[in-house]
Amino acid sequence: MGEVQKIRTACRNCHGGCGVIAHVQDGRVIKVEGDPASPISYGTLCSKGLAITQLAYHPDRVLHPLKKVNGQWERVSWDEALETVATKFRQVMDEYGPEHIVVGQGTGRDYESHLYRFANQLGTPNVLTAGHMCYVSRVASTLITLGNLPICDYRGEPQCIVLWGCNPQWTNPDEYKGVDFWKAYQKGAKLIVIDPRQGFTAKKADLWLQLRPGTDAALAMGFHSVIIEEELYDQDFVANHIHGWEEFKERVRDYPLDKVEEITWVDRDLIREAARLYATTKPACIHWGVPTEQTNNCTDCTRIMAGLMAATGNLDAPGGNVLYVNPPTRTVAEFARHRDLTPETRGKRLGGDQYKLGARVAFITPKVAWESILTGKPYELKAGLLCGTNPVSTRANAREAYGALKKLDFLAVIDFFLTPTAELADIFLPAATWLETNHVADNWKRHGFVVARQKCVEIGECWQDHKIFQELGKRLGQQWWNTVEDSLDYLLEPAGLTWEQFKEKGYLQGKMVYHKYRDKGFSTPTGKVELFSTTLERWGFDPLPKYTELPESPYSTPEVAKDYPYILNAGLRTPTFFHSANRMIPWLREIRPDPLVEIHPETAKKEGIADGQWVWIESPRGRIKERVKLNAGIDPRVVVAEHGWWFPEIKDPGHGWDIANVNILTDNSHATMDPAMGATNLRVCLCRISPVQE
Amino acid sequence: MGKVSLIFFKKDCMGCHSCEVACKQEHGLGVGPRLVRVREAAPDFTPIYCHHCANAPCREACPVEAISRNSQGIVLIDRERCIGCKACLEACPFGAMQFADDQERAVKCDMCLDRQKEGQGPACAAICPTGCIFWGDSQALAARLDS
Repeated sequence: MGEVQKIRTACRNCHGGCGVIAHVQDGRVIKVEGDPASPISYGTLCSKGLAITQLAYHPDRVLHPLKKVNGQWERVSWDEALETVATKFRQVMDEYGPEHIVVGQGTGRDYESHLYRFANQLGTPNVLTAGHMCYVSRVASTLITLGNLPICDYRGEPQCIVLWGCNPQWTNPDEYKGVDFWKAYQKGAKLIVIDPRQGFTAKKADLWLQLRPGTDAALAMGFHSVIIEEELYDQDFVANHIHGWEEFKERVRDYPLDKVEEITWVDRDLIREAARLYATTKPACIHWGVPTEQTNNCTDCTRIMAGLMAATGNLDAPGGNVLYVNPPTRTVAEFARHRDLTPETRGKRLGGDQYKLGARVAFITPKVAWESILTGKPYELKAGLLCGTNPVSTRANAREAYGALKKLDFLAVIDFFLTPTAELADIFLPAATWLETNHVADNWKRHGFVVARQKCVEIGECWQDHKIFQELGKRLGQQWWNTVEDSLDYLLEPAGLTWEQFKEKGYLQGKMVYHKYRDKGFSTPTGKVELFSTTLERWGFDPLPKYTELPESPYSTPEVAKDYPYILNAGLRTPTFFHSANRMIPWLREIRPDPLVEIHPETAKKEGIADGQWVWIESPRGRIKERVKLNAGIDPRVVVAEHGWWFPEIKDPGHGWDIANVNILTDNSHATMDPAMGATNLRVCLCRISPVQE
Repeated sequence: MGKVSLIFFKKDCMGCHSCEVACKQEHGLGVGPRLVRVREAAPDFTPIYCHHCANAPCREACPVEAISRNSQGIVLIDRERCIGCKACLEACPFGAMQFADDQERAVKCDMCLDRQKEGQGPACAAICPTGCIFWGDSQALAARLDS
């Protein structure tokens, strides 16, 4: 046995980018541990990252390209696989036009720059991502409101932290790991937790606001109501840096606390106390999560919450919510060549006329893709390339997603395993894990760092995603580089570094400047924080944010609630799985073998359900089954179910995709989506539950 | 080093299970034995782990004297001597003693003796994001309890 080499790299089992030291022996990673020198994770690592060797060396992992011949997968060379995709794409482009090709990704493995560069040079505006209801939607809403996404500045020592619909201790952190929150909390910051479910942080909180799922926008309006009524806002900031403060104040009058209590189920006195604590403790920050985006209120909820940061003077202030300065590497947008798309091509973006804010940040909502495939309207997508995404599990109205992908003429999928989505493809391209990848990681984030993810090993014939886009792009006459590392040199050029030099450094940090708006204003048409959005007004939307009742609830659809009396809070996260990933990893599956649905003990009694029993969860769209776990920390009127479940151990090509798939229950009709963003409402709907009779 | 302790401060356990996977990786264990395990009843999380008891019931129960306690106070099992009778599993009041079906032997926490030789603490303590897992001698423990 050879010597053990220790290689410093960065994880990518979720969005984290946590520092890792990989132990490599005889060309194989035998162990990983947290890197104490990491500026963003300080040596900690979660269960998912720690289990990477079981993913990378999993017996079911596909290590070479596959082609489906007469319904069966057959091993082929990279040359044949790529040429098959290129030939099909050329044919579609010649016959119909490049917009008839859809390119898509899930949460992404830091390849947004390369995926968009491929799609833009191909000439298709139809890029299908998770962005319509996850993170990118927050970026889009804050972009038009204040120019960028404000991030909780834990390094600036906040004295009050609001965890709003997020559990950074458990799951996908985007800019932050749970450890940053934890350090600030341990230094004595006050803690307000807004969550329908009492988790670890709710137990630790000074104030826990248990809201009705999906009513975050109304609750945030309640905060504004208190702040305005008691004049707790920053007089100077609102006078000089907010556009439309008077109009916004007028709108907030629609949300007196008794009405907010009725909507959100949160006691009015508790709302008042929380709003006061947030507004009067300086500095204070809001750490927000995806539930604020995954309803019909997506855009407005983000805008109202950004309004709280602004009104209290916490915007771009140390310890507040700040616009971090990234290191001087080339941006994803520049690398991606968004400008290659002509206005005419952009005009062909599916749903672009309707969901203008989504179109502004270059994605399409899945609904319009499925409609295009299933109905041919306004035109039919003919081919697709999906990378690291499992939409039949993770997108609303999963049955429609499944039917559409099954019908699509030609589909190529890039992934590690034959997932239920990959099984619907014609070509499978095997992707490298982060252990097999070179990249300037975290370069799309807004936390002020880029970190070096460096290749530790090569496994089978797997290629890192970036190389796949590059090599396929070259076959289609696109401009790329000879090697992936050459493209990284290009990304790093403004920082004056090559990839080899950056690899040695390990990371770069941007030089932070606070209160940038005092000199430059905000990057909006008025140079101010636009609580009255001139952009939304120009596009014909309501320029002021509001709360719109959820499309399916005891209040908006009482007739549905008669048969489906519970509110389903869909998409409970777990610390061991990332969306639909990891169910085949033995160490992780042992910890969580079954899909869980949490119900209150009173609800269990009422429905005759015992702890640990399998139950049917039904909505007007269909039914699934999950295993019950009792939790007294949720409202008896609410049912909280995990998402992302399929069963790799079921070997037929469906892999049990529809057994415990919470998105069988969710809706994606246009009427239920955010009108400007196209965010699907996959967080909240109505349901009923009953025991599965054995 | 004198006597050492491993203690999980339950109130700060957030149920992330990182300790479990770090332990499995360190000890090369597959599915089955869980030398540390976090039981979830949100919002409470209860770590189950070996307390390395002074008068260890597992040691007393072992019919072949395969279990001993070393000078550091670490309770260890001699896998050569273990006959796989599971008497120790019955005896442990915490449910910390585990069984590896593939080896037909009991397995338990050894406080990562191999890591200690390299000057490192146990894998679980090293990885914990909230720092709720304490490892150290009695002086360090007293300091931690005071803080």
